[in-house]
Amino acid sequence: MAGSNVKRRGPATTNRISAYLLHHLQSLIFSLGKIYQAPATTIMTVAVIGITLSLPGGFYLFLKNIDAMSGDFRSSSQISLYLDLGLSEKRAREVEKDIAGMDQVDSTRFISRDQSLEEFRQNSGFGKSIDTLSSNPLPHTIIVEPIEADTFAIRNLLNALQAMPEVEIAKLDTEWLERLYTIIEIAKRSVTIITILFACAVLLIIGNTIRLDIQNRYQEIIVTKLIGATDAFIRRPFLYGGVWYGLLGGIISWLIVEIGYLAISGPLERLNLLYQSEMTLITFSFHDFIILITSSTLLGLAGSWIAVARHLNQIEPS
Amino acid sequence: MIEFHNVTKRYEGGYEALTNVSLQLADGKMAFITGHSGAGKSTLLKIIALIEKPTRGQALLNRINLNTVSRHRIPYIRRNIGVIFQDHQLLFDRPVFDNVALPLQIQGYRPQEVAKRTRAALDKVGLLHKEKSMPITLSGGEQQRVGIARAVVHKPMLLLADEPTGNLDPVLSREIMQIFVEFNQVGVTVLVASHDLGLIDELDKPRLTLNRGQLILNDLVDDAAETDDGW
Repeated sequence: MAGSNVKRRGPATTNRISAYLLHHLQSLIFSLGKIYQAPATTIMTVAVIGITLSLPGGFYLFLKNIDAMSGDFRSSSQISLYLDLGLSEKRAREVEKDIAGMDQVDSTRFISRDQSLEEFRQNSGFGKSIDTLSSNPLPHTIIVEPIEADTFAIRNLLNALQAMPEVEIAKLDTEWLERLYTIIEIAKRSVTIITILFACAVLLIIGNTIRLDIQNRYQEIIVTKLIGATDAFIRRPFLYGGVWYGLLGGIISWLIVEIGYLAISGPLERLNLLYQSEMTLITFSFHDFIILITSSTLLGLAGSWIAVARHLNQIEPS
Repeated sequence: MIEFHNVTKRYEGGYEALTNVSLQLADGKMAFITGHSGAGKSTLLKIIALIEKPTRGQALLNRINLNTVSRHRIPYIRRNIGVIFQDHQLLFDRPVFDNVALPLQIQGYRPQEVAKRTRAALDKVGLLHKEKSMPITLSGGEQQRVGIARAVVHKPMLLLADEPTGNLDPVLSREIMQIFVEFNQVGVTVLVASHDLGLIDELDKPRLTLNRGQLILNDLVDDAAETDDGW
């Protein structure tokens, strides 16, 4: 009995490592069992996390679609020429021929005033109001597709076309795209801010849940400390609890976004058609899914870590 | 095993629970701490179990200075001690087996080893057939025996018991004390706080009597002189 090596009664070192891993596994299953035993609390916590994360997730998906749609137009740098209103269709078609013969022009497409009006009537939803107009306010339009060239060459072409007397307005279609990109950029940054805020919210939710969990198991913590449990041993089940909350919350948020996506995919598809885009709508890729689940799980771990660090050390037997 | 040199414990607010207590409990000994409630019995045990630290004086456990032990080392020191509480301190959310197995799991024993030792400890207190029961379904005496099984399952060098028979009838109390005597016979050092004087008289073990924080009777003084075991 003499001697002060207090660790000597422990099991052999070779067993220690496997025992350490075993306790990790036990904590993992034990914390899952705790979650299973208190389904009401768990469902509420997990649902709150899921809903919270679904907002940035949904915004992200929305932006991803808008980005993909606009990317579809990015390659084309069409120039729309709105001809003088007084120009006859015959003269307008001659102008089109001239332009089509120009060096930098790949192809042209002619849209007559009547066609424009008809398209507008179908797509704008203002059909009835248009019928009340006494005359067609739309000009003949020529869509000019430049040959592949840099922005500078296209700008030159634009200026040349604008200079033609028959052309009322020459408009490079990338202008509205540039505006769209700017708006998308703003939206992207907003999503980043929202994501950070909601991540903080999840951190607080999980931290608070784990804090309550620690309070509920006060007695157990005292007893295990008294019989020689290290802080790490006591901490482990709580950390795994946070991991489970985060993981399940992430899955819920993914489900919410997917269901929401299904709900709005109909009108979204129609919008896609209106943009005459061939692309299909995108949902979460496997990569996105993994990122969502991983980050929510890490948030769970971080949240429980904060709670454990703050509250577990305060509990000492007395 | 246990040495106290002029240990004083004063709680916040000025209440002095122990005053200048000096004692030595040699390896393999068994002793009782007696005294009225509030005499300082629990405080003495708490200092040994590293729950409280002395305000003045020195407390040693196995030559480790309990005044200065670092927080990190406390769990490892506690693994050499089995503590039995008056109110059992069982965990009611898990069966008897899991309660008793806890110290072994904390120390990282293999599952086969855990099962073997846990059943051996339960067998020792006569509750092997109750291993799957929930603690709430057991009687007070049975719960206390589960508490004892948990305290001894990892074969500690020292067993501390704070009023282990406080809530039990005389027959059960005698049974519980007999279990402690048996552990002492196989070499475990045992220190029991109790005010059940009748029962203590029957057992003929050294007594430490506290009165308002002062040690007024110490049977161990003569004892220590007789058995010089190298402290």
